Amino acid sequence: MNGDERPEGPEEFADGLLEEELRQAAAVLDPVPVELVQAALDAFALHDLDARLAELTFDSLVDALPVRGVTDAPRMLTFRAGEVTVDVEVTEEGLIGQLLPPQSARIEVLGGPQTTHPVIADTLGRFTSDAPPSGPFALRLRTGAEVIVTEWLRA
Amino acid sequence: MRAGTLRSTAYDDRPYTRGGAVDRTEVGALVQSAVDGDAAAWKALVEGMSPLVWSVVRAHRLSDADGHEVFQTTWFRFAQHLGRIREPDKAGAWLASTARHECLKVLKGLARLTLTDDPRVLDRASEDRTPEETFIDSEEAADRAERVRRLWQELDGLGERCRQLLRVLMASPPPSYGEISAALGIAVGSIGPLRQRCLRRLRARMDTRGAV
Repeated sequence: MNGDERPEGPEEFADGLLEEELRQAAAVLDPVPVELVQAALDAFALHDLDARLAELTFDSLVDALPVRGVTDAPRMLTFRAGEVTVDVEVTEEGLIGQLLPPQSARIEVLGGPQTTHPVIADTLGRFTSDAPPSGPFALRLRTGAEVIVTEWLRA
Repeated sequence: MRAGTLRSTAYDDRPYTRGGAVDRTEVGALVQSAVDGDAAAWKALVEGMSPLVWSVVRAHRLSDADGHEVFQTTWFRFAQHLGRIREPDKAGAWLASTARHECLKVLKGLARLTLTDDPRVLDRASEDRTPEETFIDSEEAADRAERVRRLWQELDGLGERCRQLLRVLMASPPPSYGEISAALGIAVGSIGPLRQRCLRRLRARMDTRGAV
């Protein structure tokens, strides 16, 4: 077997036919749900070149060692955009977070292209949201100087 | 370039073509148009690559609720990263890789919790019939429908590696090997041989059980 192999013989031809048959089966039996296609279309509204993107740099789900016996540890997330860091803890009650360096900000918890929930960060950059995110969420932070948006994430 | 229909994604890794001619520059051009605000280009990207993202979700056997969230998260993040993607012509691989990582996170999160029920579902056909299913249930198509259903059932008996590969492979339009590699975290070079083995295994199962 090598990289130049091409589907030429009868066996390869039959493979190709079966693959195509599977493709048709998937289109009929397991198509992309219509509402999801619509959600993806609507997501174009989230395309925002003016905001600075804060990338996820720590996710306890991936980066933290599991603590023995602790099964419901809160999810800890860190986002970073240049020198600005946003730490977020996701609990069943909602979100607790802090913006560093400490500064006040107006924050929106986004749940999709249309859903926002406003929160205020105090002068130390601390904020609390009593609405636990369900599903994908992001934070849009308006500091005095700029707009920062965290990477979309599934809570 | 204005948006058109996204016929197929790029076969960027090897001189291996399946599914006919492919315009390798199309995806990159659509991404660029979408960055510039062209909603029709975005629509073409969504329509052309949603099946790939969905196939990644289904290959990982997430529950419907988790799968829907992974799908949405993937597209939300793609919209957010649109102007920042380093290789726009490989947007398909970017989407596949993002979906895969979100799937793995879901599975990791589930593994940590004490579960009361098994959240994974088989890739069975849903109970509700889609219009297409109703169509293939019409009399003239009954035999064909039966074969399609059997084909679908046999997938589950192939073993996890084959089932995963074939579920992604059957996305429409056919994904490139680069995209499949990103979707499943397997080397591009191993996809061809694995594809052949899995398709032949499936064919053998259909042949032995099929002669009704």
